[in-house]
Amino acid sequence: MRALHAAALALGLSLATLARAAPDPQAILAASDAVRNPSRPFVVNVTLLEFRSSKQTDANSLVVYSKSDTASGQFRSLIRIVAPQRDANKLMLKNGNDLWFFDPASQASIRLSPQQRLLGQASNGDVVTVNLAKDYKAALQGEEELADGERVMRRAYKLDLAAVSPDVTYHRVEMWVDTTSSRPIRARFFAESGHLLKTAFYRKFQPQLGRERPTEVVIIDGLDPAWVTVMRYSDYAWRDVPDAWLQRDFLPRFKPE
Amino acid sequence: MQSAPLPTCLALCFAGLTHAAAPPAAPPDELDALALADKATVESTQPARPWRIFIEGAAGRNEVIGAVPRVDTQRLSIDMRLDVSLAPGLRAVLSDRVDLAHSNGVPPAENVNTLREAFLSWAYSDRQVLEIGRVNVRNGAAMGYNPTDWFKENALRSVVSPDPAVLRENRQGTVVLQGQQLWGNGALTATFSPKLANAPDPGAFALDFGATNPRNRWLLAGSYKLSDALNPQLLLYGGTNTPTQLGLNLSALASEAAVVFGEFSVGKGKSLPAQALGLAEADKTQQRASAGFSYTTGFNLTFTAAAEYNSAAPEQGQWLALNPLDRLRVLATADAQQDLPVRQAWFFHATWKDLLVRRLDLSAFVRRDHETDSRHQWLEARYRWDHADLSVQWQRFSGAPGSVFRAVPQRQAVELALRYYF
Repeated sequence: MRALHAAALALGLSLATLARAAPDPQAILAASDAVRNPSRPFVVNVTLLEFRSSKQTDANSLVVYSKSDTASGQFRSLIRIVAPQRDANKLMLKNGNDLWFFDPASQASIRLSPQQRLLGQASNGDVVTVNLAKDYKAALQGEEELADGERVMRRAYKLDLAAVSPDVTYHRVEMWVDTTSSRPIRARFFAESGHLLKTAFYRKFQPQLGRERPTEVVIIDGLDPAWVTVMRYSDYAWRDVPDAWLQRDFLPRFKPE
Repeated sequence: MQSAPLPTCLALCFAGLTHAAAPPAAPPDELDALALADKATVESTQPARPWRIFIEGAAGRNEVIGAVPRVDTQRLSIDMRLDVSLAPGLRAVLSDRVDLAHSNGVPPAENVNTLREAFLSWAYSDRQVLEIGRVNVRNGAAMGYNPTDWFKENALRSVVSPDPAVLRENRQGTVVLQGQQLWGNGALTATFSPKLANAPDPGAFALDFGATNPRNRWLLAGSYKLSDALNPQLLLYGGTNTPTQLGLNLSALASEAAVVFGEFSVGKGKSLPAQALGLAEADKTQQRASAGFSYTTGFNLTFTAAAEYNSAAPEQGQWLALNPLDRLRVLATADAQQDLPVRQAWFFHATWKDLLVRRLDLSAFVRRDHETDSRHQWLEARYRWDHADLSVQWQRFSGAPGSVFRAVPQRQAVELALRYYF
């Protein structure tokens, strides 16, 4: 009987040790978010280059002002179009699914639905900062070796992310996160129907606002792999973004220095 | 020596095999995409320009009822907008458009300059802004008909397209003194528009204060964000010889792809026929409304449908009782005020970005008059290069004889335009 107790105790200890050793998938996702997202309000330039069958078909340049909402923990962003010239100084405001488009020429603020894309293949949610750990429940699928965006083999946690908020752009996400650096490596985004919508590679990590962050995301369309969007991030800077800026009524008066 | 059981052996062998195998490489499509991204070059990021200038040349043909049934038109337009910071918090905006037009119509087309905006804006804190000058003060959640956009009255000097977005852009602002207070979830805007002249000035380069500032008027607009999905705006408008009007703007997200909107105004006023024909009529409570939804498909086609209502406009019987000349007067008054000329109408609008070919956009609307079953239709195809647009637009008024839109002298118009952005 004593032997049985000892065995049970040993088994219990082993399970407890295993449980402690198993990484928390939500913590992995949060660590990966912290690599992509600066912790304080910031501004960044984003260039989107769109390719079809290896030929560049479009280019957009934006400035994104972003800060996290203290209540929800999610980011709120004000996006100003810089180029092309016909769209220069048009604005987009994104607070979750509260999405507004403002054209200074007509002084019109129009509410958009998340499905309404203004920037080609990239969804409105792609160009702004998102804390995935706030919107998704992560499950650890295991560890895998895979080539990252620079074709370097990495050991990665494979996470399966299920949407917990109805406000998200993608119903399910598969994400590979570097086991040592917590860098996001690759992600696959799925529609509710299960169709692959797009694959993204996070790459060109550089020191930006206090740590190594991806400065390029390569997005490959799920249906047409010859449709590729390259998003480049540059000129990161800390920038105060007052709450008053992040509402529809301020849009006509937005004038960055 | 004790041998391992067979299942353990198989498991170990399998584990060894999987460990020994090369890790999976990215699929070829993904490697191609990464190679493409490696080669992609980005010109150094240029700061946003404080100005936008384009010129547009256009040629068109109109079919009209009149002495010259087929009118050929040519137009050259120069359009500029300047938005500069003069000092921290101090901003100056100048927006102007010149339309140099020629036609063989009677009367011929005229050159028109439209000073759309010229104002100073002073943000004396993150939450308080003061503006003075000619400002395009615009409100309204709906797309085709905006009952709460009160400063649209007499704001158009040159109409180059019936596209609602173009009409909102190419109009004269109102000279105002305007202040805005912002909070985290709301805003209050107070606007005063003083009387500056008595009557519109049709001169080509007139500032036309008589059109935009014919009497003292004021507007209070407050909004509060109740949730991400709902941000209503309440408005109060009035002035000298301007009965107070109450307005409401609502828009909400109905799904990932759909937005519903509603815009309403109520207040005393005269009917459109009374205004157009100078009839002695006591002010009555008038209601105006536009409510509908926009839906975006997965292939970026956005479709909007709205029901439009104007209690000041004639019903079928009232319209049919008017003689042809009076009908034209009612239409002209509605046109100048950008008001709905019929009691009830349906408005359908569609925009399809990248239709079949990348950079080719198609936009169209139909306004169907519910009283006499007539239609106003418009279609535009636009191809975009980096610095230029080529567009063709077609407009048609149709319906049975005696119907509202059939009474418009212009039956049909087509125009080809080339625009170049500097």
